[in-house]
Amino acid sequence: MEMWRQIFIHGMDMFNVVIVAYFFLGNGMYTVLMVMSLVAVWLHNRRLAYQGLDELRESPVTPPVTVIIPAWNEQEIIAQTADSTLGTDYPDVEVIVVDDGSTDRTLQNLIDHFHLVKMDLIYRPRLATKPVKAFYMNPEIPKLLVISKENGGKPDALNVAINMARTPYFCTLDSDSILEPDALLRLMRPVVRSPINVVASGGIVRILNGCRVEKGRVVSVSLPPSRLERFQVVEYLRSFLFGRTGWDMFGGTLIVSGAFAVFHRETVLESGGFEHDTVTEDMDLIVQLHHWAVRHHRKIRMCFTSDPVCWTECPSTVKMLQKQRRRWQLGLCQTLWKHSEMLFNRDYGSVGMLSFPFHLYVEALGAAAEFLGYFMVPLAFFFNMVPPLLYLLFVLLSLAYGGLLSVGAVLLEELTYRRYPSFRELGTLLFFAFLENIGYRQMVLYFRFEGVVRFFAGSRKWEKVTHVGAGQ
Amino acid sequence: MPFLIENIIKVVFTLLVIVVIGNVVIIGLAFARRQRRERYFQRIDFVRREFRPVVGNLLSGRMDYQEGFNRLKSISGLDRLYLLEELLLEKRPTASEEPVLRRLCEDLGLVRTWQNRLAGHMDTASVREAVGRPEGIIERVGKLRFLIRAKSAENLGILRHRESWPLLVKALEDPHPDIQSVASRAIAAIGEPESFPALVAQLHKVVLNASTAALSLRSVKSSLVSFPLKCASGLLPSLRHSNRRIRFLATDVVREMVAREAKGEDEYGLDRKTLGMEMAEVFLTQLPFDENPDVRARSAPVISHISDPRSAPVLLTLLRDTAWFVRLHAVRALAQRRFLPQAGEIRQSLSDPNWRVREASVATLRTFGAAGFNQLIEHFISTEDTYSREQVADELQRGGLIPDVLRRYGEDGDWRAAQVLDQMVRMGKTAYVLGFLSKEAQPPVRKKFLVKYVKDPDPQIRQWVARLATSEPDSEIRGLAMAALESRSPAAER
Repeated sequence: MEMWRQIFIHGMDMFNVVIVAYFFLGNGMYTVLMVMSLVAVWLHNRRLAYQGLDELRESPVTPPVTVIIPAWNEQEIIAQTADSTLGTDYPDVEVIVVDDGSTDRTLQNLIDHFHLVKMDLIYRPRLATKPVKAFYMNPEIPKLLVISKENGGKPDALNVAINMARTPYFCTLDSDSILEPDALLRLMRPVVRSPINVVASGGIVRILNGCRVEKGRVVSVSLPPSRLERFQVVEYLRSFLFGRTGWDMFGGTLIVSGAFAVFHRETVLESGGFEHDTVTEDMDLIVQLHHWAVRHHRKIRMCFTSDPVCWTECPSTVKMLQKQRRRWQLGLCQTLWKHSEMLFNRDYGSVGMLSFPFHLYVEALGAAAEFLGYFMVPLAFFFNMVPPLLYLLFVLLSLAYGGLLSVGAVLLEELTYRRYPSFRELGTLLFFAFLENIGYRQMVLYFRFEGVVRFFAGSRKWEKVTHVGAGQ
Repeated sequence: MPFLIENIIKVVFTLLVIVVIGNVVIIGLAFARRQRRERYFQRIDFVRREFRPVVGNLLSGRMDYQEGFNRLKSISGLDRLYLLEELLLEKRPTASEEPVLRRLCEDLGLVRTWQNRLAGHMDTASVREAVGRPEGIIERVGKLRFLIRAKSAENLGILRHRESWPLLVKALEDPHPDIQSVASRAIAAIGEPESFPALVAQLHKVVLNASTAALSLRSVKSSLVSFPLKCASGLLPSLRHSNRRIRFLATDVVREMVAREAKGEDEYGLDRKTLGMEMAEVFLTQLPFDENPDVRARSAPVISHISDPRSAPVLLTLLRDTAWFVRLHAVRALAQRRFLPQAGEIRQSLSDPNWRVREASVATLRTFGAAGFNQLIEHFISTEDTYSREQVADELQRGGLIPDVLRRYGEDGDWRAAQVLDQMVRMGKTAYVLGFLSKEAQPPVRKKFLVKYVKDPDPQIRQWVARLATSEPDSEIRGLAMAALESRSPAAER
């Protein structure tokens, strides 16, 4: 019996060391990212004063772009999204909407809205896809093409559109998202200006819930009414403003949100397009592009910019949030597992040595460690293995640190873009930045833990998040 | 272990205190920043309210210059220059507004300040003063001064301040990439021919020292193509350069310049005076035969605009090039009505092994109007080449030509339209045809088509006949469709 007790205590000790190490490693890295992002975003914001968008708009050298909108059962918003995308402020933009075998009126609504006619066009599948059923166009709107295909999932829909696109760059856009008028122009700025070949460029995704939308454009920005959505506003700020900006500074971009990103078409084609074996095809493609560049000895750049804005609807119910976060975590684990040879591989530079390990140990497996920590640390306290004062201080430190990171993100927003205009909204954001660590963070952690469990169980389920039409 | 635990507690406690203080500081900073910005916006709103009409009237010539100038001069305070900059460069000036705006900026001392700043001479204020100015802190931090210098270069570009071009050319050699980039854009905006060689030198630098270049190729190209075509002669040494990439980029820059000049003009012709005798010769005799296919390809559009009897034969040579993208550029370049006599050769490109060349050939023939369209149709009807037929069918649909074909089909005697439809049906490309017949075509056209193709095995036609049998308003057509369906039923087929 004593032997088992000793083993238990020893095991607990070990686990607690892991938890503490995870805590300091993870938060230490987050702090570095926050400080770097504060500098980077502030500088970027100042640089916008001489960004030269007009020159970019007028230059014949600015490359044409195809915006790809994959849609599955999006009858409520698809016509509006296509409409507002066609009106994007960009010198040469084409739009391809792919109806991925919807069972509702998604396709019919598009046909009716744009007076489309069915055509038998040539389809040259450089990337293998599920069969295409039909093409729809209106010769009066030559910049719009609608493709109807058998259901094959988002990556398949994207691949069909990549096959049909004729421009050197394409932009992926979620069907429930709204681009700011000049977002595409801003997103393409690094592509045009960078001396290194930019193969992927991502922008910031902001939460649409609570905003007022007229004719497919966000006309006024305010915080959403529900607490769940407000927490997500803080989360998105943290994730985009300092998570991705920080990694971009390190040259370690591993995630570019597929909700709104530009890719170099030929490079994507050569790297094999979007693959179906993970549930986060966007992250998978980015990692795949890193592979491609190393294999072909190409110097490429994947960047994140914080001023091109795409507004998207966030889940407004716990159930939907659970589905979304579970899928994200599952996809993260799948992608990291699939490309595990990148781990601590010098050939991949900062991606292999820094970003990949961080995403694996802190973002993917860290979710499981933190979740179990919520049970193990109190257990250690219960068995008198940790002094009560230390336990209490550690819990407080954890909460305060979480608060610091979120409050830092709000400060970053305040220093730069100030999308939420009133004092009251700033106060609300700061309040929710603190409150997020009590309850919400633990809930999301549980969803992420579920994602990790599903990964180990071999799940490949793509969980669809349905939208209620926020901001309409 | 008590000693260790105590130490850990101390460490954790210290960390906690630091983090809490960090939180409080960040919250304080956020609110302070918001308050400062609010005050700033109030101030700028006030200035805009008061002085925007003055600026508007001055620029449009509705106000006496001296009176307006005196009023703007009355703006005071530590942030005076900043406010004036915000006010005057709020939006890009039109060509007619530019001279007045330039004069205003010069008289108010803004141009001088921007020039000084770009040259690196900051009027560094005291700390107290710096805090009161929006850019004061940046001015005091050496490493951040590039922000102000780049903005100054941008302003000089917006203003098209011709006298500043030497300063901007010097800025192209600045160690900071932002200054280089903005200077290159500003030089392009000003368009001073004497500054063109400096940009050409940048082009060479970017190509030859790609790993160390701060500017992107696209940025330099974008600036170069903004210059008027008369400056293109400055690219002659680049067109003859031993580096194939430099030759390619120089050719491409001339191509873009010519394309800009030709925009909106159907038959834009380049005489030797506009392009320069030497340049025209290089394009007609040297570049189309360059060993670099990219050079050959990019030379085609320029050649197509040169008014010279050699243009067409040279383009036809390029149309038979071994590289597909040279053929592509050549066939696109031929898309001008004056190349109608070459339609026969272009028609041959409809059977090109590369689909993009086939596609471009279709588009080129379409620009020739009825004559080109007829060539296209002739080819579509007569060719045995499946790929080129597919391409023409694609264009007939994308270009919205099917309704026209159907209208002609309805008119008796247009055998070509009938053959086009015949071909479309044989290829199974009937979706657009049937869609138009169902919704918009006149009943006689529908009937004519139905009678001819009622027994065709094409699944789309069979579905269409079935639909007609149930929902066609014209009773005669409905009857025909029903009869066809009955004859098609299993019993009838037995």
